[in-house]
Amino acid sequence: MTLLEPADVPLAGISAPIVAAAVLLAAIAIFSYVMLRRIQLLRAVLPDPRFSEIGRRIWLAIVYGFGQARQPRYLGAGIMHILLFAGFVILSLRSLTLIGRGFSSGFHLPLMTGSVGFAYEVLKDYVVLMVLVVCIVAMVRRAVFKPARYQHTGTSKGHGAEAYVILGMVSALMITDMIYDGSALAVGGHTSGAALFPAASLGAAFMGAASQSTLSVLHVAGYWAHILVFFTLLNYLPISKHFHVITAIPNVFFAKLNKGGIKPVRWGVDDWMELEECGVGRFEQFTWKHVLDFYSCADCGRCSDNCPAATVGRALSPRMISIKARDYVYEHYPVFSANKDPDDKPFTGNIVTEQEIWACTTCGACEQECPIFIEYIDKIVDMRRYLVEQGEMPVSLQKPLQQIKKKGNAYGATKTKRAEWTKALEGIQVKELQPGDATDTLFFVDSCGSFDPRIQEISKSFARILHRSGVEFGILGKDETDSGNEIRRLGEEGLFEQVSSKNIEAFQAREFREIVAFDPHAFNVIRNDYPVKFPVTHASQMLARFLEQGRITLKGNYLAGRLVTYHDPCYLGRHNGVYNEPRAVLGRIPGMHLREMHRSFTRSFCCSGGGPLLWYENEEEKERMGERRVKMAAEIGAQVIVTACPFCLINLEDAVKTTGNEGKIEVIDLVELVDRYLA
Amino acid sequence: MDIIVCVKRVPDTSEADLAIDKGGKDIQKGGLDYDINDWDRFAIEEAVLIKEKTGGKVTVVTVGDEDAEEMLREGLARGADEAFLLWDESFEGSDGYATAHILAAFLKQRSYDLVLTGTLADDDCGGQFGGMLAAMLGVPVATLVHKIEVKNGSITVRRELEAGLSERLDIDLPAVVSVATGINEPRFVSIRAVRKVASIEIPTVDRGELGLDEADVGSAGAKVEIEKVFLPPEGEGAEIIAGSPADAAARLAEILKEKGGIA
Amino acid sequence: MKTIYVLAEHRQQHLRDTTWDALAAGRDLAQKTGAELACLLLGSGVDAMADQLAKECPKVVVVDDPRLANFNSEPFVKTLTGLLAGQDSYVLVIGNSNSIIDLAPGLSVALDAALATDCIGFEVDGGKVKALRQIYSYKVNALVSFKGASRIVATLRSGFFSFAPSGAAPGAIEKVASPLGDEPLRKRFLSYVEAEKGDVDIASADIIVAIGRGIGDEEDLSMFESLADAMGGVVACSRPIVDKGLLPKYRQVGTSGVEVKPKVYLALGISGAFQHLGGIKGNPLIVAVNKDPRAPIFRAAQYGIVANLADVVPALEEKIKELKG
Repeated sequence: MTLLEPADVPLAGISAPIVAAAVLLAAIAIFSYVMLRRIQLLRAVLPDPRFSEIGRRIWLAIVYGFGQARQPRYLGAGIMHILLFAGFVILSLRSLTLIGRGFSSGFHLPLMTGSVGFAYEVLKDYVVLMVLVVCIVAMVRRAVFKPARYQHTGTSKGHGAEAYVILGMVSALMITDMIYDGSALAVGGHTSGAALFPAASLGAAFMGAASQSTLSVLHVAGYWAHILVFFTLLNYLPISKHFHVITAIPNVFFAKLNKGGIKPVRWGVDDWMELEECGVGRFEQFTWKHVLDFYSCADCGRCSDNCPAATVGRALSPRMISIKARDYVYEHYPVFSANKDPDDKPFTGNIVTEQEIWACTTCGACEQECPIFIEYIDKIVDMRRYLVEQGEMPVSLQKPLQQIKKKGNAYGATKTKRAEWTKALEGIQVKELQPGDATDTLFFVDSCGSFDPRIQEISKSFARILHRSGVEFGILGKDETDSGNEIRRLGEEGLFEQVSSKNIEAFQAREFREIVAFDPHAFNVIRNDYPVKFPVTHASQMLARFLEQGRITLKGNYLAGRLVTYHDPCYLGRHNGVYNEPRAVLGRIPGMHLREMHRSFTRSFCCSGGGPLLWYENEEEKERMGERRVKMAAEIGAQVIVTACPFCLINLEDAVKTTGNEGKIEVIDLVELVDRYLA
Repeated sequence: MDIIVCVKRVPDTSEADLAIDKGGKDIQKGGLDYDINDWDRFAIEEAVLIKEKTGGKVTVVTVGDEDAEEMLREGLARGADEAFLLWDESFEGSDGYATAHILAAFLKQRSYDLVLTGTLADDDCGGQFGGMLAAMLGVPVATLVHKIEVKNGSITVRRELEAGLSERLDIDLPAVVSVATGINEPRFVSIRAVRKVASIEIPTVDRGELGLDEADVGSAGAKVEIEKVFLPPEGEGAEIIAGSPADAAARLAEILKEKGGIA
Repeated sequence: MKTIYVLAEHRQQHLRDTTWDALAAGRDLAQKTGAELACLLLGSGVDAMADQLAKECPKVVVVDDPRLANFNSEPFVKTLTGLLAGQDSYVLVIGNSNSIIDLAPGLSVALDAALATDCIGFEVDGGKVKALRQIYSYKVNALVSFKGASRIVATLRSGFFSFAPSGAAPGAIEKVASPLGDEPLRKRFLSYVEAEKGDVDIASADIIVAIGRGIGDEEDLSMFESLADAMGGVVACSRPIVDKGLLPKYRQVGTSGVEVKPKVYLALGISGAFQHLGGIKGNPLIVAVNKDPRAPIFRAAQYGIVANLADVVPALEEKIKELKG
C-alpha cells in the first residue's frame, strides 16, 4: 500500500506543483533581495584586494572551510559543528530532492537513482537522526551547561535566542523529514527495516497506531512543513547571526594571507597623507572584507575566550566588535526599508569604545582561534588610526611615542649613545657599520636592546654568541632608529613611516647578507611591514642554525636540573610561525628538562606586549597578563621560563616578583641561556 | 571667545646631563632637545577645549626665532587657528620681564577675551610671565589654575594652594590665566596632524611692527641679569642617618622641618 | 639699601611658615646691607598676628581692610603699591607660595621693581644684592643681579632660610589706613575648596609621602595617611601598591604614572626603580626609608634611614607633631 505523494495532492484546490512553484519563487525572490542588499553594502564600503594567490585561497577554503580544520581546537563543540556541517552538506541534496518532489512525485537528482540513490537514502536517514541528536545536545548544552564563552559582554543586545531559533528550525527540518518518510514507511512503502532507515523507522514507530488516512495527511503535511521551514531558515540566515552558513566559506577564501603585517591606511591610495580622513571612524570606512567578517561571525566566542585582554578584565572582547558591528549594519542598512543616515556620533569611540580599542596588544590569539579567519588586528589598527588623528591616545602611550618622534627611541635617550652598551663587552669590539661598509650579519639591536638596562644584557649575550660563531657582524649604532612595530599598530602611521624609512635608508647604505634581531617585534616589522624587503632572521633561528652547523657548542650546568618551560612570544610564534627553532635550541642544551605549558604554540598567552606598550597603563585590568602567564608556568611546576622576546622577559620578570615567585621561578631569554652555555 | 596662548620653546633639561658653557653664564645647549614648555602644552589644550565649547578663535604666539616655528605648528595641529612668531634680533637675551613686555605690545594691538599661558617655564623656573603680562595689560590674573569655567563676561577658576586646598575666584574678562599642568589631558599630535597644517602661514612680527624701543627688549630691556651659573654640588647618594629607628626618626623630622618638608 | 620689607603671608587668620622664612632672610639682608627691617602685614582683623610679628621685627606696618582677608592678588598689589609709592632703595622679601605666585610678578611691574622668584640664597656684594636661584628644571644654580635696580622684589624657596627667635625687644606696630579705593575688584575670592580625600592631585603636591612594595603585606595605610597629614602632604605610591589595589592609579608616581614636582619626597619602602624615579621632577629633597641598604633609592636620596618602616613611621609622625607644636 502506498500513500499519495505531495505533488499529487492539490492544496485548497490548487495543484501542488503550482503551490511549489509559488513557494520556491517567493523564497528565492526574498532571499535574492536580502542578499542583494547585503552585497550592496560590501560594494559601497572601501576596497580590499583579496583576489591574489587564488590557489592558496582555494586550499584554505578546502581545508578550513569545508574541512573545518580549526573546529576541533574546541573538541566537543568542534565535533558537534563538524557533524552539523557534514549533515548540512549531505542533507542539502535531500532538500533539493524534496523541493523537486513538490513538482513531481518521483523526482530524483541526476545520478541519484538505483543503488546510488538507495545508498544516499540510507545515508541521509542516518544523518537526519544524527543532526537531530546534535541539535538536541547543543540546545541542552546552551540551556543547562551555559558555557561562559557564549555570554555576551558589553551593551549590545543579546543574540542567545537566535541560537535556539536556528537549532529549533534545523530540528524541525529533521522531524518533518521523519514524518514524511516515516508515514510512508508506516504504511509499508519501504520494504527494508529499521537498520537501514533509523530516522524514518523512528518516525513510523511514533505514528504506528495512526490510520491510513491520518498517515496520508501526515505525509503531505510533513512534506509541506519541511519545505516551509526550509525556506524560512534560508531567509533567516542573512538577517541573523547565522549568516555564516552562507558567508563562512567565502570568508575563509578571502582570508588575509600576509599574517604579521598590517594593512595600509587605505588600499589603492598612493599618498594617504592626502586623504581627507584616515583610519576607520565611520562604519563605512571599513573594507568590504572587514564587513564580510562582521556578516560571518557565528558568535562562537572562541576569540574572546582566548583574548588575553578579556582574560585579565580589560574592556576588550573581540567577538563583541563583530557582533556590535553587525548589529550596526542590520540597523543602519535594513533589508526592507531605506538605509538610515549614520548617527552623529562616529562608529569608532561609540559603538566600539576607546577602552576596547586600546586594550588590544595585537597578540593575534583571536585571529588564530577564529574557525573562519575573521580579522581583528587590522580593524583595531584602523580604528586607532582614526583616534590618533583625533588626538585621542592613552596618556601613558603619548610620552613614549613623543620620545620616539623626537629621539628615535621611547627611552628618551640620545641616539649618539645607541652603541654605548657595547663598551661593557670584554674583549669584543662590536663594529658600528658606517654607510658603505659591508658585513655578513647586521645585528639590529633596536631601542630596547640599546637602552633598557635589562635588555642590554641580551644584546651583550647575543654579541658574545655572534663573536663566538665567527660570523662577521656589525650594528647600525647611531644610524639605527626604533623598528616601529608597535608604532604602526598603535595607529601612528606617520611616525611609523618616519622611523621605517630611516632604517630602510640605513640598511640600503650598507651591504650585508642578512639582518638578525632578537626582538620578535623588530623581526616582524622588518619582515612583514617594511615596504622594502630585506632578509631578516630571528635570533632563535640563527642560534638553531649555528648549533646545526656546529659553529657554537654548548656546555655547562646553568639550569642544574631545574624544570624549564618555553613561552612562545606572539610575534615569533603566531605572527611568524617560528615555534620549532627555539625548541630545537633548547633541545641542544645539556640536561634540559622541558615541559610545555597548557597554553603553548599557537595558543600561547600574551604577556601584555612590547615596545611602547611597556609603558601602557590599563585602568580596567584586574590582573596583569604577565602575572597570569607566570601562574600558568607555576601550575606545571616550571622553575625556569625561557622566552625569546625581551619584552616578554621584562613583563614576566616583573610578574614573577608581583606573584610572589621571586627566587622560585627564573625568567631568561633564549639568547642569554645559550650565552650561559657557550663552550 | 577669542583666546591668545603665549608659549615658549625650552630645552628639555629634565632628563639630560647638563654642563656649564665656557662663558659660565649658561649651560651647554648643543646636545639638548627643544620642545614646547610642558606647562604651555596644557594652556593650548585648554584654549582649544574652551573654543570647542564656546566658539571663537585660538591664537598661539611666542617670542623666538624660526626654530620656534615647529612648536607653533604643533599648536596649530592641536587646534589653534593662527600663530605668530615675534622675533627680532634685538629680542635676544630677553628675561621674563622683557618677554612680557614684547607680548604685551603684541596683545595691545589685538582684541582678545582671554590670554592663556603655562604658570612656569622649565628653563628659567621663574613663574613670573603671566603675572607680569597681566600687570602690563592692566587686566586681572590667576596662576596655577586647574579649572576654568566660562561665564558671560567672566570666568570662574580654581587655583591650587598647598596641601590639597584650592581657592575659587571669579575673574572679569579680559584676563590672563596661567594654567597648572594636569588641568586637562593634552591631545596627541600625530605626524599627519602636523602635516595637515603645513600650509598655514605663520607670520613673523618684528620689533618695529610692535612699536617697541630697542631699550625695552632683549638684554637691554631685562630687569635681571645672570652673573654666573654653576651646578650644585652633587651628593654622593644619601646621607644615612644612624642610630636607633626612634633616634633616626627624630633627626629626620628635624631635617624635614628645616627643609620645608612640614607644611 | 635703605629698607628690607618682609611681606607676611597668612591664611585663615594664621601666619604661614613662609612668613618666618622671609623674616629670616630679611633680617639677614638687613644686617648685611645695613638697612632697616620692616614687616608688612595686610589683612582683616590682624591684631594678633601683628603682635606675633612685632616680637621678632623692629617695625610692623599694618593695613586692616576686609578686602585683604584673603590673598587676592588684586587688592594686595593695589595696597602694596600705595604703601610703597614714592619709595626707593628697598628689597621686598616674600616667602614663595602658591598665593605669592599670583601676586609677586604683577606687584613687581606695578612697583617698577626687578623681580627674582623662588630664591634659595642672597649675596651682598659692595652693598648690591644678588639672588641665588635655580634654573633648568631646578638642576642649575644661577646667581642673578638686578642691574642696579633700587627697587627689588624677591620671593623665597621654603626650606632654605631658617628662622630663629631674635630675643630682641618687641618692635613697633604702625597702623596705616587702607589705600584701597572704592572701585570694584575685577578678581573676586569666592571660597576655599578642600580636596576630597579621593580626589588628591599628587601632581601638584609640594610634600609627598610615597609608599612602595617595602610596606610588605600591610594593607592598612592609615599609618602613612596620618604621617602625610602631619606633614601637610599627600600619600602617593609606586606601581606595586596600585597593583595590590591599595591605592588608585592616579596616586602612582612614575614614568608610567603621574609625574610629580614636589619640594619634598619621602620614599617609604620604595626600592627606586628608574621607572619610578623618572616620575619625580623638579629636583626635590628626597628622603628614603628602606630596610634594604642597597636599594637604589638611596642613590637618589639626600637622606636615608635603613630600618623597618613600622619602627620609623610612628616615631617620625610623633616628632613632627611635636615640632609643629
